[in-house]
Amino acid sequence: MRLLAGTVTALLAVAGSSSQLPEGGTISGKVTLTTAVRGVPLASNAYQPRAVGRHEPGRTPEIQNVVVYLKDAAFKRALPASRQVVEQRNETFVPRVTAVTRGSVVAFPNGDPYFHNVFSLSRAATFDLGRYRQGQTREERFTKAGLIKVYCHIHSHMSASIMVLDHPYFTVPLLDGSFSLRDVPPGKYTIVGWHERVGERATTIEVESGRTAAIDISLPVEDER
Amino acid sequence: MSSSRQPPALLVKTLTVTFGLLTLLLLIVFAVVFYNVRLQVRDSLKANLETMQGLFGAVELRRQSDLRGQAATLAENSTLKAALDTYIAEAPSSDPVGREQLRTTITRELQKVAARVESDAVVALDMRQTTLAAAGPFAGSWPLGSVASLAPATVALEDGVAQVGEDTFRVMTVPLLVDDERIGSLYLATRLDAHLAQELDSLSRARIAIVSGGRLLATTLSPQASADFQASRAPTMPKDTVVLNGESFAFLRVVQLGETSLYALSSIDEPLAQAMGPILAAFILTGIGAGLLALVVSFSLARSLTMPIGHLSAALAHMASTHHVEGRLALTGSSRELDTLTQTFNDLMASIADAEAQTQAAYTGAIRALAAALDARDPYTAGHSERVSVVSVAIAGKLGLEAEAVEIVRLGALLHDIGKIGVPDDVLRKPGALTAAEYDAIKQHPVLGARILRSVPFLARHLEIVELHHERPDGRGYPHGLRGDDIPLAARIVHVADAYDAMTSARAYRHARPAGDALRELWRCAGTEFHAEIVGALATALPGLTADSPVEAFEGVVG
Repeated sequence: MRLLAGTVTALLAVAGSSSQLPEGGTISGKVTLTTAVRGVPLASNAYQPRAVGRHEPGRTPEIQNVVVYLKDAAFKRALPASRQVVEQRNETFVPRVTAVTRGSVVAFPNGDPYFHNVFSLSRAATFDLGRYRQGQTREERFTKAGLIKVYCHIHSHMSASIMVLDHPYFTVPLLDGSFSLRDVPPGKYTIVGWHERVGERATTIEVESGRTAAIDISLPVEDER
Repeated sequence: MSSSRQPPALLVKTLTVTFGLLTLLLLIVFAVVFYNVRLQVRDSLKANLETMQGLFGAVELRRQSDLRGQAATLAENSTLKAALDTYIAEAPSSDPVGREQLRTTITRELQKVAARVESDAVVALDMRQTTLAAAGPFAGSWPLGSVASLAPATVALEDGVAQVGEDTFRVMTVPLLVDDERIGSLYLATRLDAHLAQELDSLSRARIAIVSGGRLLATTLSPQASADFQASRAPTMPKDTVVLNGESFAFLRVVQLGETSLYALSSIDEPLAQAMGPILAAFILTGIGAGLLALVVSFSLARSLTMPIGHLSAALAHMASTHHVEGRLALTGSSRELDTLTQTFNDLMASIADAEAQTQAAYTGAIRALAAALDARDPYTAGHSERVSVVSVAIAGKLGLEAEAVEIVRLGALLHDIGKIGVPDDVLRKPGALTAAEYDAIKQHPVLGARILRSVPFLARHLEIVELHHERPDGRGYPHGLRGDDIPLAARIVHVADAYDAMTSARAYRHARPAGDALRELWRCAGTEFHAEIVGALATALPGLTADSPVEAFEGVVG
């Protein structure tokens, strides 16, 4: 929800500053998660699955781990920055995927009654926020566009992705998979549906002024229920 | 044959001896063989059990070494190390709440570890052996912050036994290293309790006893057996056998950690009883068969020994009962001794028969002489006794009497008037009629004769002839006046023969009458004075007697 709020804020900022430019078009469509051909799961239960971790109830729906953005869009004006929150809860980063504009700040509060750590060795951002206990929050400002993988040093199975973009033409689909990008300057674009386990699925699209271009994106992600 | 105090039959005696001996021998042989078989089975069972226990020990050792490998891997678990690293780095600068959360960080990782190992508790300790965190089913036995005292084992320094509160744990220790520096220890603890004993029991199929410092921590033995085990010297020895609650057990110390030992105990008696069951059944079956065979063999043996003796004794008994001393016993041919015995007996019986014949001849001669002497007192009655005897025998022959009865008649008739010894000569020889007193004296002679002869046992059966040869069927005879059938046959015969001879012989007072007249007179008095059937027999016998010139024959005998 916080992610959506951030996106909306960004979009409003874009709308407010585009009054003197030619009217932009809208891209709207739907992201469908299709199931990839599964491998046969290992029959062995020699090692029991971890007692804590991956299948916490109430986690983010898989559809909202998708980011839709324009790959080659340019934005000349000053980028609106935002402040997002990625909480550490039940040995998971919530949300798992966050998209922000360059210059935004992401806070990592610890909601678990034990120590966590946040670090990244990604090219776009290399940082270590140290180890801290419940109730404490550490922040990081992202000043370079790119995909940043964030981990907890203590709990190696914890990870989150933060996508930093140079323009505001990105969004996370709604629960039904629908999305729309407004005020996109007319022109030809490559629109990308991204999921951390699938990567980019790109399609070209032409945006005309005052028109809505429709596109459906299909990502072969297995919904982990 | 009727007395109950008789000695047992020879067959029974022989059977008892032979069968008893055979049975005794069989019993001794069976007992020795059975004992030896039992001993061997027991030894082989014991060896088997010891091998099994040895295997179990080896498996248990292997299991521990596997667990050690597992533990070493777990100690290198990155998240666990990260949690520890966090603790090391943050604890000094943290407040109590922070330290609590640092411990929780470790605990969570330990819980993940504990879920993957079979240990009852996984415990992380710092260098001062203070418990930092614990996980697993018995984590509660390891309160945080407490100091665990580990009694190290003599064999492997890493292993030991820890006494934590009420519980005793077998502990495997692996070092916790952060940046190649030891920061503490990881304990993989197994509680030494009834559950473990039960688990090992079902794994090894042996009873398990866990002993620590002479104290029995847990066991799957029965209460009585475990008390016996504790009281015995067994908990101090590596392996041996021990008797618990009357049952023999082979035991082996499978694990030894300092003062704490784990024993596997296997009952020898239980499988022994199972193994010996069929063997015992086979023994009993064979024993019954052998017993029956022994019975048959000893019976036939006893019979072959006693049957000839039985035959011999039966023949002797028959001989004794029938007085047929002349008979000869057949030789059995069963044994030389028995045949010699039979032969000797036959010879003896022959000589006895000879002697008896001689004795009888002597008796008869003497009696004849006596009778002749008696007859000679009166010239008129000379040869009377011999003649009566001949006639009586003839009548007896016609009546179909048996030879023995005929012989009695012969001798009885010869002696019938022996009582006249006591009658004075003048009465006896008096020609003419007798006075009543004289006649009474004459009538005394049968009783007198009987009294004289009664002292001779040999003549017992002849007495009735002497005493009753003047009785009449109409009851008017003397001395007793018996009637009809009360008078013995022999006496009747001699009565008729006496009368016949008296009539056909001359007397001082009359001449001899011819045989026909005499017979007619006899017929006249038949039924009253004489028995009719005797007179009839005399009538049929008479022609033979006269044809043989009886007078001559009589005189020949007297002479």
